[in-house]
Amino acid sequence: MVTLNVNGVRREVQAPDDTPLLYVLRNDLELIGPQFGCGLAQCGACAVLVNGKEARSCVTPVASVANQEITTLEGLPARWAKQKGIAAEQAKNILHPVQQAWIEEQTPQCGFCQNGMMIKATELLESNPNPTVAQIKDAFTNSGPSPNLCRCGTYIAILEAVQHAATIMAKRS
Amino acid sequence: MATMSEKPAKAFGPTLSRRQFVKAGGALVVGFSLAGPEFLKGDSVKTATLKNSLDPTLANSWIEIHPDNTILIRTGKSDFGQGSTFTAYRQIVAEELSVPFEAITTVIAGDTDRTPDGSGAFDFLGHGTPNIRKAAAYTYQALLDLASERLAVSKDKLLVKDGVVSGGGKTISFGDLVRNQQLKLTIPVKGDLTSIFGLSIEGNPPMKPVSQYSVIGKSFKNSVISSKVAAKETWATDVRLPGMLHARIVHPKSLGSTLVSAGQVDKKKFPNAQVIVKGNLLGVVAPTEWEAIQAAEQVAGATKWTDWKGLPGNDKLYQYLREEADWSSAPVEKSKAVKGDVGPALGSAHRKHAATYQLSYMKHAPIGPTMAVADVQADGTVHIYTHNQNPQALRGEIAMMLRTTPDHVIVHSYPGPGHYGRSNGGNAGAEDEAVLLSQAAGKPVRVQWMRADDMQWSTQSAAAFSDVQIAVDANGKLAAYQIDHYMPAMQDDRPIGAVLAGLPAMSAPDVHSGDVTSTVNGISDPWVYAPVPNVVERGHGTFQVGQKVSPLAVGLRDHSMRTPGQFQQNYPRELAMSEAAALAGADALQFRIDHASEERAVGVLKAVRDASGWDTRPSPRTDAVSTGSTPVRGRGVSLMLRSGTYWACVCQIAVIPSTGIVKVEKYTIAVDPGIVVNPVQLKRNVEGGAVMGISHALFEEVIFDESGITTEDWNSYPIPSMSDIPEIKVVLLNNPKVGTYGGGSEAANALAAPAIAAALYDATGKVLRRLPLKPAYVQGLLKA
Repeated sequence: MVTLNVNGVRREVQAPDDTPLLYVLRNDLELIGPQFGCGLAQCGACAVLVNGKEARSCVTPVASVANQEITTLEGLPARWAKQKGIAAEQAKNILHPVQQAWIEEQTPQCGFCQNGMMIKATELLESNPNPTVAQIKDAFTNSGPSPNLCRCGTYIAILEAVQHAATIMAKRS
Repeated sequence: MATMSEKPAKAFGPTLSRRQFVKAGGALVVGFSLAGPEFLKGDSVKTATLKNSLDPTLANSWIEIHPDNTILIRTGKSDFGQGSTFTAYRQIVAEELSVPFEAITTVIAGDTDRTPDGSGAFDFLGHGTPNIRKAAAYTYQALLDLASERLAVSKDKLLVKDGVVSGGGKTISFGDLVRNQQLKLTIPVKGDLTSIFGLSIEGNPPMKPVSQYSVIGKSFKNSVISSKVAAKETWATDVRLPGMLHARIVHPKSLGSTLVSAGQVDKKKFPNAQVIVKGNLLGVVAPTEWEAIQAAEQVAGATKWTDWKGLPGNDKLYQYLREEADWSSAPVEKSKAVKGDVGPALGSAHRKHAATYQLSYMKHAPIGPTMAVADVQADGTVHIYTHNQNPQALRGEIAMMLRTTPDHVIVHSYPGPGHYGRSNGGNAGAEDEAVLLSQAAGKPVRVQWMRADDMQWSTQSAAAFSDVQIAVDANGKLAAYQIDHYMPAMQDDRPIGAVLAGLPAMSAPDVHSGDVTSTVNGISDPWVYAPVPNVVERGHGTFQVGQKVSPLAVGLRDHSMRTPGQFQQNYPRELAMSEAAALAGADALQFRIDHASEERAVGVLKAVRDASGWDTRPSPRTDAVSTGSTPVRGRGVSLMLRSGTYWACVCQIAVIPSTGIVKVEKYTIAVDPGIVVNPVQLKRNVEGGAVMGISHALFEEVIFDESGITTEDWNSYPIPSMSDIPEIKVVLLNNPKVGTYGGGSEAANALAAPAIAAALYDATGKVLRRLPLKPAYVQGLLKA
């Protein structure tokens, strides 16, 4: 039995300690934002935030993140609401500015990697609200265990969406 | 293989105009299905409707008009990230029906029991007339007929705006026209539902004149992006059925190994796991995913396979293709551009260029490995839940494997990672394996390939080489152009699980194995330099490497990949054109303009010249150097015609000679598709294609030894990260007078390679005629 704190909710799961967090999230908790891309921490499709830092759930043993603050794609709106003091009831109807920017910029193509891209963008913008193009490129290339990879080649759209999200966030703070 | 890009990009064919249509009588049949106006006659074929299928001859199977004025559309084309089904298709239907974009509230795509037409996830715009457009045009005429009857106003006096028909001072909405009525509109359809091309709607219904377009040309958003971004979309990876088992496949040790003995599960460690063996197909199933993964690893270690070595290995690939491959069994194909007499022109050339160009195997490499859930039920009905580019073809393949008929197979289609062509032939790898394991286990089974399975057991884009000879005359003009393209069969549609299990599958690539899976190498790159007086283009085909000697009959399996066949042929042509320009002492971009006759080809070249800040001069630059550790810069250009769209790009690069590292610093691309349906969606598709093109040009090469593919992950098969991406400038040339809309999701991924190679030549004075332009190969070239 492992106790997880996911998207602000305490969850008890029956899984061997070494089970990668990804399978627990997807199969036991039905949190399907993170995707299986490589199982090797080489692509970022499975990314989640652990205590605000991007982690690759495909290689993270579930027991190692017991009682840590885990945020998945599903939890981004509530995370934003909490940061901005938006009431829980109202928070159900909003998206995180990163998600909103991803839609307004029409960023995804197949979209399979974009969970990790939005997680990385959230991590970046929480520490650097107004990143330069160089800082965005550096974050998506060098700050994680591997670069966040997109096979459809949406990097330009991601760059534009991160900048757009920064603008939305600045307006609301 | 198919040469789709050489089909004429005829939008409407010999149609009746709207006025003529009305004059012809307008007896479009609503309510029963025989007879009909002129445009319904012709080569209509009555297709037998399978169980668990829609009747494609009923317009209602494609487009449903509801009494509340909402509209539902259905298409067999699955979305793989192009977004066309959710944007362009809705715009096209809205335009033909004269309804607002927002009226089309539902798009059903891909499910074999809920969509009518099949075909692969390519050529969405169907050379300007996708099936859905004709379905809309027929439906519109039927609605006009109904309105004419209801309003007692002749058809030619009716006006339609936003789904409301008006005439004679009266109005009625489409919703009211169909309310409380059982309407049946029959349309002519032909083709083979489970083939790669599926069914097509025939005839030439009147279409809305381009000058009246109001929905096409606007940047409507893709609805599926919103649900994916909000984690509200159900992906194939999310499908979970009651009692479902998780599975992993233990693939053979090599591409020719057969099973000696299957390992046993260590029941102390993995009490719930079970091994399933069918021929050389070995699967491990367990109730939880983690147990299945671990047990499969343990079983793999305990399984014995025969050894096999039958591939040339990566280092000897081109030597093998040149000297050992059998190029005589498939007839040589010639292009339509062949003319004049190249022999004398080459013989008397003022200047002559002769060279060979090589292009490696590349993986489709979806960002998520293939997966599928299958449920083989007791009554023999098979349900498959997957992401697949051609669900109807998959249906046919599964039926063949199980020795049943397609009506017993239902494929449910969900979003998944882009395949870029890999499953256009009906399977990506896991679907048939899931079916066989489910059949054996008597429960639903979810097969998920691991990253290494996907790199090593999937198909790939075929390697190729081309021999080019060019003559330049004393006036600096091309006097002769001769190219011989050599490529192994580029499409193997056999499901790998069926092959491993020894069950029925279509035949391996052969000269007679079918249109797209044949060993014949057709010419896929339309010739765009019409003024050249003497031209020869030949295609030489052969079997896949290893296919004939592998005991499994697999070898290096190929499958069409984004811009298939044309990439292999356009890269040598366009790099050779840049070299020919240098030989003539001419600027490479102006040289192309001087040899192109088509206005649209010249148009994209001029647009990319202006947008990139191209400096007109010959290559290489006068201060080109091939040594040293400081970056040297150069630029190159390339041109392509594909699926009715003209493309040109300019790449500006920097290369460090001592390391061989090439970096693209600026990428400019001009696109003339005719009518731009949705500018934002097209721009995003082009940007993505451009990035993939840089990836193909600089990074991608499948590495293999004598037994199989050794490339296994993103370290051994690198693709670009965000820091590899240059400034990208996209120039969209909306060209309504063309009267049709061409494709936008392909071509861009192939354009970069010859432009980057030409830029390397411009910078260093040396030409690398081999892809990819990896540091080691560039270093080797510059040191030589």
